[in-house]
Parts: sequence; C-alpha cells; structure tokens
Amino acid sequence: MKWLWNQIKKEEWSPYAAGILLGVTGVLAVFLSNKLLGASGAFENLAGMIGKGLHIAAFDNTYFNYVMPPGITWGVVLLVGVFFGGMIAAFTSRTWKLRLNSDEQWKRVFGKKIWVRWVLAFLGAIVLEYGAGIAGGCTSGLAISGGMLLAPAAFLFIAAMFASGIATALIVYRRRY
Amino acid sequence: MANYVVALFLGVSFGFSLNKAGLTKYNKIVNVFRLSDLAVLKFMMTALVVAMIGLYGLRGLGLITFPAVPATYIVGNVIGGLIFGIGMALTGY
Repeated sequence: MKWLWNQIKKEEWSPYAAGILLGVTGVLAVFLSNKLLGASGAFENLAGMIGKGLHIAAFDNTYFNYVMPPGITWGVVLLVGVFFGGMIAAFTSRTWKLRLNSDEQWKRVFGKKIWVRWVLAFLGAIVLEYGAGIAGGCTSGLAISGGMLLAPAAFLFIAAMFASGIATALIVYRRRY
Repeated sequence: MANYVVALFLGVSFGFSLNKAGLTKYNKIVNVFRLSDLAVLKFMMTALVVAMIGLYGLRGLGLITFPAVPATYIVGNVIGGLIFGIGMALTGY
C-alpha cells in the first residue's frame, strides 16, 4: 500500500506505466459504455450547443445536425473528468499551481512575453481542432482509440501528424532543432 | 445516468495518466517532433498495445462488441492529420 501511494505521489511516471493505465482505461470505456475515448469531438458538441443556442445560421448544416450533434454527450462528461483527473494528478505530486506560462523551453524560443504564448496557443488550437474535424478525431479519439481497433485511418493520421509536426518543429526551431 | 458517472471516472483516469506521463507540458509534446524526447510515442504505443490485447481478447471471449470503428477516408485522414500536426507542434497540446 505504502509503495503504491509513493508511486502515485511521483511527479513523473515512466511513459510505459502511464501508457498501461491509458490502455486499461480505453478497454474499460468499451467494456462499460461501448464508447471510445476522445477529446476533440466534445469541443465540437459544445461549440454546436453555443452556435445553436445563439441561432447562428452557419451552425445549421449537415455537420452540426447529424455528424456531431450538439449536447452534453458522453464525450463532454469524459472531458470534464480529464480536467479533474489532470488536476488530481498534479495535487498528488504537489505540482498544482496557476501558471500563465512556465515553460522554459518556450521562453528560450519565443521569448518571455506571456501574451505571445496565449495568442499562439489560441490560434494553434484552432488549427489543431480544424485538422481533427477533417480527419475524424484527434490524438486520443482517432490515433489511440482507432488504432486499438486497428482502424487504417488511425495509422494514416499518426503518419501525417508526425510528418507535419516534425516539419513545423524544424521551422520553429531552425538551427536549434 | 450511470453511463455519465462511468464517463467521469474514465475521464479522471485518462487525465491522470496524461499528467503523470508529463504530456500536459509544452516541451514534452514538441520534443517528440524534435525527436529528442520520445515519451509521447512510448506512451501512445504502450496504450495502443495494451488496449489492442485487452479489446481483442475480450471480443474473442464474447464479452464485448466493438463500437463504431473510426471511418477511413484516406485523403481526409491524411490532410486532417497534416493540419493537426502543425497545430500540435505550435501549441504543445
């Protein structure tokens, strides 16, 4: 018991150990709810709710009516859980703290200005979510959840994601790559 | 309702594993694209292998049926993935 608690308190686990936990979680999702873990879809459900709530005409399309219907779906509740799960993990390792930008590596590359981080995070997240919308999922919903069912889409997505991710990192980091 | 409680608990477990693997940090995500820290890949692939064994094993025993498998439409998956990678490398999410 003491050993287990010491492991839980550790700030950073081996990625293999954390991966096993996620793998088991993915199996349980299918076993208990017959659902796949995912994150990006929940944002679309919520965005659809806001758009439809405000009666914006652009939201009255096939995508928001049938492909990603708005509402508090299973995925939205999952996402709320992810938020608290991350928080609990940070509490157990005593690293929980409100930060505006604390990443040293970011500061070395983009400078110390906090607003640059926030603006790039906002714009980058739009790009990211848009890509996920086209591909049919994100790292969790398509790459991991699709991959564990051996969906070809997942492996195409992983390959494409790494290709453009590496290219982007090369441009951002240039000589420091 | 019970389904939502399950979703909440699974979400907590999901978020917990992400945080403990360090994937909530900018440098972890971006360094996998610089090939200097492969934690993201190790984490993803371990999860994949564990879940594959679990899911196919349970299906073989007749205990579960698979939910709808994510659709494969080659051009969309690849273009979406290319756009996604740009966002991921810029933000570190």
